[in-house]
Amino acid sequence: MNSYKTLKVQKKGGVVTARLNRPDVRNAINMQMVDDLTHLMDAVEDAQDVAVIVLRGSADVFCSGIDFRDFKLDREPDIYGLQKWEKMCRRLEILNKFTVAAVQGDCIGGGFQLLLVCDSVIAEKKSVFCFNEVKLGFLPGMSTFRLAKYIGLGRAKNLILTARRLKAMEALNWGLIDQVCETVEFEETLSKTIENLLPFHPTALEMARRLLNECYDTSYENFIGHFLAAQHRAITSETFKILIKKSASRMPCL
Amino acid sequence: MSANKKVTISGRNTGSRIVSVGTSNPPRKYTQKEVVELYGETNPKIVQFFMNGYNISRCLYLPEPVNGKMPEESNQDLINKHLGGALEIGPLAIEDCLKPIGLSSYDIDFFCVTSSTGFLCPGLSAHLAKKMGFRENVYRADLLGMGCSAGLNGLRNVAALACSNTGKLGLLLCVEICSAAYVYNDKISTAVVNSLFGDGAAAALITQSDTNILKQGPVITDFESHTIPESIDAMKFELEDSKLSFYLDRDIPYVIGANVEKPVKRLLGRHSLKYRNIDHWIVHSGGKKVIDAIEYNIGLTDHDLRHTLSVLRDYGNLSSASFLFSCKELMRENIVKEGDIGVVITMGPGTTIETALLVW
Repeated sequence: MNSYKTLKVQKKGGVVTARLNRPDVRNAINMQMVDDLTHLMDAVEDAQDVAVIVLRGSADVFCSGIDFRDFKLDREPDIYGLQKWEKMCRRLEILNKFTVAAVQGDCIGGGFQLLLVCDSVIAEKKSVFCFNEVKLGFLPGMSTFRLAKYIGLGRAKNLILTARRLKAMEALNWGLIDQVCETVEFEETLSKTIENLLPFHPTALEMARRLLNECYDTSYENFIGHFLAAQHRAITSETFKILIKKSASRMPCL
Repeated sequence: MSANKKVTISGRNTGSRIVSVGTSNPPRKYTQKEVVELYGETNPKIVQFFMNGYNISRCLYLPEPVNGKMPEESNQDLINKHLGGALEIGPLAIEDCLKPIGLSSYDIDFFCVTSSTGFLCPGLSAHLAKKMGFRENVYRADLLGMGCSAGLNGLRNVAALACSNTGKLGLLLCVEICSAAYVYNDKISTAVVNSLFGDGAAAALITQSDTNILKQGPVITDFESHTIPESIDAMKFELEDSKLSFYLDRDIPYVIGANVEKPVKRLLGRHSLKYRNIDHWIVHSGGKKVIDAIEYNIGLTDHDLRHTLSVLRDYGNLSSASFLFSCKELMRENIVKEGDIGVVITMGPGTTIETALLVW
């Protein structure tokens, strides 16, 4: 894996771990970080020997939101940098590997946005989640599109409009994150989370995730067509062929 | 390597270009409901094929009802309809293509016509030469029986001629009168095609030229084909009541889905391209299930295939002409930037998948 200005990336076996790494600004997201993450998406997507990518921050903070110093006083702000951020989030959302977010400490704004596009999220008990964008006068990106699908419209309005600071346990109960643990158990919980995702069947992962992401905005008539195309792809994949071979050599279960 | 670096393809400025695309359809447009009512169809299974599909309206050459009933069309009627229809919308599509750049049929050096919805001898290109005043030394070729994929087979032939004859003008015409291959006999197999295919013609001007006005449109950079012989019977003409009727096997979406990656990966691979480098996808509007299969096997969205879907919705499956309709929609959208890369995919009997790489 390459080295990046704003990320600390490590590859161990089939797992790539990328730490947001701007300690002086509590891992705030700047354009450089968006470019670095986009490049990382390319690299991970192409790597044949990677099954999982883990996104995490530092021990005390996951991410503190957008770095406003990227907006210049002497220039009208334009939308294209934020569009790049959305493109990167979408790449992560449909990446051909398992995606895990592991949160320690505060997870604010853009950091929270990242969680909504990952397959699995764990957090330590003391971590806090917050969309502070509307309170500051702008928008929490395409979380306006994704959040309500996780937690329903009422709760989504409450979180986004009031910038309420959500505690880890509550986020767990709402289904925003999958696992909460004590700080001392964090590494162990993360390893277990990765273990639970494996084995890695890329076709089944991509097909299942795409259907799930579509399920709220597709009619049954369209969805059944999508499902049949996806299932056909899954049952003609190498993985499924091996499964059939194994089953054929076994005695029938009665 | 920066994350935002635009991928470039060597030799992108050399090669023939699709300079202009023109289209035409029969004057009468029918909604699916209107067709069902015209034919007085009451079999719920057949009605469902018409109403459940993704296409909503089609332009068709249908006979006028006699005493409130659709008259039976004889074999000769259907052959006449194919020739008559092709000679009406074919020339209109050619004019739509040539007029904006100040050209006429007299300027064309070589001319390829694809049509699979009627068999003629002499072929359509001869009839069009007579009707439209092509030069006496125009080179003609008719491509028959290749069905929906034929547009790209024709494009490949004309592009090759254009490449070896710099400055000369090539024309491709895909003209399909699918309503001349309609048989109404209360069978599900004929209802499948009668509810899907529409009539249309599309023409493309192809040339390799240094003249400014002809130096627009995408460069046709490469092609890749894929034939699946074991599925030779999946799409074919069959005789129904001694008339030609197209037959579509229910496995087609899955055959296409399982194979579509193969030619596309070969095509992209030899230019070191990944799916994510492709800016535009121009895909034949085969039918909703085939489009689903392609989306899920290549990882494309409804947005990527918006023109494929809108052409299917508005015109039905126009066989070999479909992809040029999508191509025209893309050009009309005015979002293509210099350096953009596009992939064209058509599929048809054989079973065949044809692909092409375009660079703007």
